[in-house]
Amino acid sequence: MTSVMMTVLNIAIIAMTLSILIPMYAAWKDEDIWQTMLSMASISTKSSLIVLMLSVLRDDWMIGVSGVIMISVGNAGFMLLAHILKRMGEA
Amino acid sequence: MIEVLSSFCILVGLVFGFWGTSSLLGSRSVLFKLHNLSVSDTLGSISIIVGLLFLRPREWPLLLLAIISLMLWNTMLGYVLASCSSDAVKNQHDVLYFDPDFEIGDES
Amino acid sequence: MIGDVVLRLIIWFLLTANFTIANIVIGLLIAFLLPRSSASPERLKDLFQGIWKIILAIPQAYAEAVELILNPHTEEEIVMERVQLRRSPGLVFLDIFLITFTPKTTVLNYHEEGWYEVHQVRPRRRLP
Repeated sequence: MTSVMMTVLNIAIIAMTLSILIPMYAAWKDEDIWQTMLSMASISTKSSLIVLMLSVLRDDWMIGVSGVIMISVGNAGFMLLAHILKRMGEA
Repeated sequence: MIEVLSSFCILVGLVFGFWGTSSLLGSRSVLFKLHNLSVSDTLGSISIIVGLLFLRPREWPLLLLAIISLMLWNTMLGYVLASCSSDAVKNQHDVLYFDPDFEIGDES
Repeated sequence: MIGDVVLRLIIWFLLTANFTIANIVIGLLIAFLLPRSSASPERLKDLFQGIWKIILAIPQAYAEAVELILNPHTEEEIVMERVQLRRSPGLVFLDIFLITFTPKTTVLNYHEEGWYEVHQVRPRRRLP
């Protein structure tokens, strides 16, 4: 990988880190639980994407595997959490 | 050439991401934000991963698995969030409109 | 049943990326030994048709995303969509997946009588 591409990836990772700040602020500000869940899901996807980009930048296979695991386990956890919240709302 | 293509894909992903996520700050309904988040989180992320795939074709099995799991899980999460949150809203309305403890004469 | 096994083998080989004899044997064993539902026998043809439909849906999803960005959709509405009765769970999942994957529409609810409750956004109507 050329040094130009490394710079592009570095800038992209910095931009992703900045775009994580938006859902973090939204999750902190919102009172409604479903809006908070949306923001949290967004944070989860974006952070796992940053991990994947980092794995390509550093050419490290193991970090990439943990990124893929983060994608599926994080989303599955949010689905379970949504069902629990729905049950609590019904009770 | 490959690097231009890859940079373009990553740029598209970043634009999608910023556009969709910025709608979280507004005061629209959960479902409206969910539509925009499906643009940013699913499609933007897939585009970024495709950019990474151009950059490092040697790791294609892992990145392809990342794309597939991103598509499946994010879409299913969107459906679950939509159905659960709409059910919750309906239940809230039921409680609001059909209060069982309400008796005539309580208004005073 | 054969579709199940093929799907598991694909995921296994994507995860391990290793084509030695030992790994192939382990993957086959796992694909056959994991429990599977006997309720709905899916045929291999259905599986590939489903995958083909999902691949076709990707460019459509990107087109809708560009449309959403360029032309702000501010109105929301809930419409009911009719589908055929008595579909297998796999086909229902495929339908819900395809509708939810495109950014303009999201399935809210599935009614047993063959209705989907679909939430969609559309642009504001121009006043004449």
